[in-house]
Amino acid sequence: MSIFHYTDSLLRAAVMTLKLCAFGAVAGTAWGLVVGLLRASSFRPLRWLAALYTSVLRGVPILIVLLFTYYGLPLAMPNLRFSAYICGAIGLTLFVGAYVAEAVRGGLESVPTGQTEAAQALGLSNFQRLRLVMLPQAVRVIVPPWIGILLALVKETSLVSVVGLVELTRAGRVVGQESNNTLAAFALVALVYFVICWPIGQFGRWYEHRLAASGLRTVHEPAVSNLLGEDAEVPTGGAA
Amino acid sequence: MVTWDFSALSPYKSIILHGIGETALVSVLSFALACVLGLIAYLGCANHLRPVRVISSIYVEVIRNIPMLVVLFFIYFGLGEKGLNFSPFWAAVAALAINNGAYLAEIFRAGFQAVPSGLHEAASALGLGPFQTFRHVTFMPGIRNIIPAATNQFIMLMLFSSVASTVAFPDLTYELQRINSATLRTFEVFTVGAALYYVLSTAIALAAGLLSRRMYRW
Amino acid sequence: MIRVEGLTKSYGAHQVLKGVSCEIAKGEVVCVIGPSGSGKSTFLRCLNMLETFDGGTVVVNGHDLSARSVDARAVRREVGMVFQHFNLFPHLRVVDNITLAPVHVSKKSKGVSEANAMELLERVGLADKARVFPKSLSGGQQQRVAIARALAMEPVAMLFDEPTSALDPETVDDVLQVMRRLADDGMTMVVVSHEMGFTRDVADRVLFMDHGVVIEEGTPEQVFGNPQHDRTRAFLRRVS
Repeated sequence: MSIFHYTDSLLRAAVMTLKLCAFGAVAGTAWGLVVGLLRASSFRPLRWLAALYTSVLRGVPILIVLLFTYYGLPLAMPNLRFSAYICGAIGLTLFVGAYVAEAVRGGLESVPTGQTEAAQALGLSNFQRLRLVMLPQAVRVIVPPWIGILLALVKETSLVSVVGLVELTRAGRVVGQESNNTLAAFALVALVYFVICWPIGQFGRWYEHRLAASGLRTVHEPAVSNLLGEDAEVPTGGAA
Repeated sequence: MVTWDFSALSPYKSIILHGIGETALVSVLSFALACVLGLIAYLGCANHLRPVRVISSIYVEVIRNIPMLVVLFFIYFGLGEKGLNFSPFWAAVAALAINNGAYLAEIFRAGFQAVPSGLHEAASALGLGPFQTFRHVTFMPGIRNIIPAATNQFIMLMLFSSVASTVAFPDLTYELQRINSATLRTFEVFTVGAALYYVLSTAIALAAGLLSRRMYRW
Repeated sequence: MIRVEGLTKSYGAHQVLKGVSCEIAKGEVVCVIGPSGSGKSTFLRCLNMLETFDGGTVVVNGHDLSARSVDARAVRREVGMVFQHFNLFPHLRVVDNITLAPVHVSKKSKGVSEANAMELLERVGLADKARVFPKSLSGGQQQRVAIARALAMEPVAMLFDEPTSALDPETVDDVLQVMRRLADDGMTMVVVSHEMGFTRDVADRVLFMDHGVVIEEGTPEQVFGNPQHDRTRAFLRRVS
């Protein structure tokens, strides 16, 4: 059967991929923001915990996180039913959150210390200082790495297929087997991913151009070697 | 109530070690190949012949926008169906190398571009030709720029090598899943697994940092 | 030695050089002064082909720079340049900075080049710094190494592009001393500089440039003592 008989199933699977992306993006960004702000907290144990979380989640494979959530959540809460989708979505959220937290930390650090001092001198509380002075200025610097994280997220959804969810990549496998044309199936799947990812990447580049034009230097992605606290001066690569 | 019992894992110590070994092997081999591919792609993107530039750019752009799993499945299942059979090991190596080569090309480009243009002017003023300038003036400072990003990429590659488990390659993740099925002690198994990967990535980052500081006393 | 006639150059719509002419004889020291944006650096950089020009003729040591067959590397072998920001190679020790070009461009042996390099370092007063890396040197010391590096190619003429503008006042004199000795030894020099004292004492001729043309030309006594044009007078009043 021609591959194009299966466009229906592929499109449904693509929708599932997009659902995962949307969940991961929204929840992951929100969670990452929280963790990132906690890292700037004045309460040391919270700061330390957030740092540990960020460090660990960025130093383990996404697949391990997904497997952990998939097998672990039902064990931890045996009364609730966890679908592959929910497990995958939660796993992605936890993973993305760590990278967003790191981007947030980088963004806050890029705000000149004079701003903190001025805010404190005016009597603003820590929370107000963060919300009214630091974050608005940090956002510009956070956006490029954040876009990189989203781009990686789209591609990482493919791994949720490992826990059985029928998203785009698994659908490609199934369609390939049924049509006896795995090559064409995956070529099509690749095309769909490309169509989703490429605009995101282009937007990221455009945004960085705008930033560079206004004189701001950007760090492309929170580097894993930040485990030591050094920032890569040069744009890093990316995950699959 | 969740009880922890790490002792259930002790009979599997050697299997875990074996898994780590396979992960290390696949990572190092793939990264070496990825560097070669990345260098070719970098030179390709800067080539004076337009078709070469186009092919290199297409390679980099396509890889950056599709998941590595798709590349892996394309090679293992897709090509396998057509008779070109890759072992899980080689399929993983190929997919990892192809994938990371594209990112390394960008890292090389940015690293060499970040070398201050004043140095190139000085080299030109002294009469050095373009190839001589690259070899004696651009290369070492460029590599220094590249090392942090390249180390980061290697760590990412190592972490991503876990994807090889999806085609039954016996790396650490694959063995962890097997042990999980055997013992049903999910928390212990994956906590140990996560810890092992974390230790590996931290160790690599530390080692690279130390090496870099020693090599680049200038 | 160097003959320039009607040199013109534009960057897009902006014309930087609007017809510059001058002749520099062997052994002459010519200083080019003028406000920033006057085109003095661009003019200098045309002499060793670091900049291309649009119109006019430039003949340097017998090489016609506007000819299609001109060999840029041959010109640069014979003319040395010293930059405002030194541009020493950071990954090479001082002595290796100096021997790089003689070995790879002039094809001299390493042993001979190193011996020459040590001689040059003696002349600029930095023989004890031969094996250190540039980063441990002060600005003035780096600039003196840069001068030695250019001299190692045994050029027939030396071009200086604001050699002391990026230096702390204390180290400026060390560099100017080296340049004075070079002039006394009979080197043909073209110096773009703001150092009026040096110009007055060492220059055989002074060129005052403004807005891409040579406004006035003469001996230091003529230009400083009896400036003919208003703009020259205005400039000299500002810098004295």
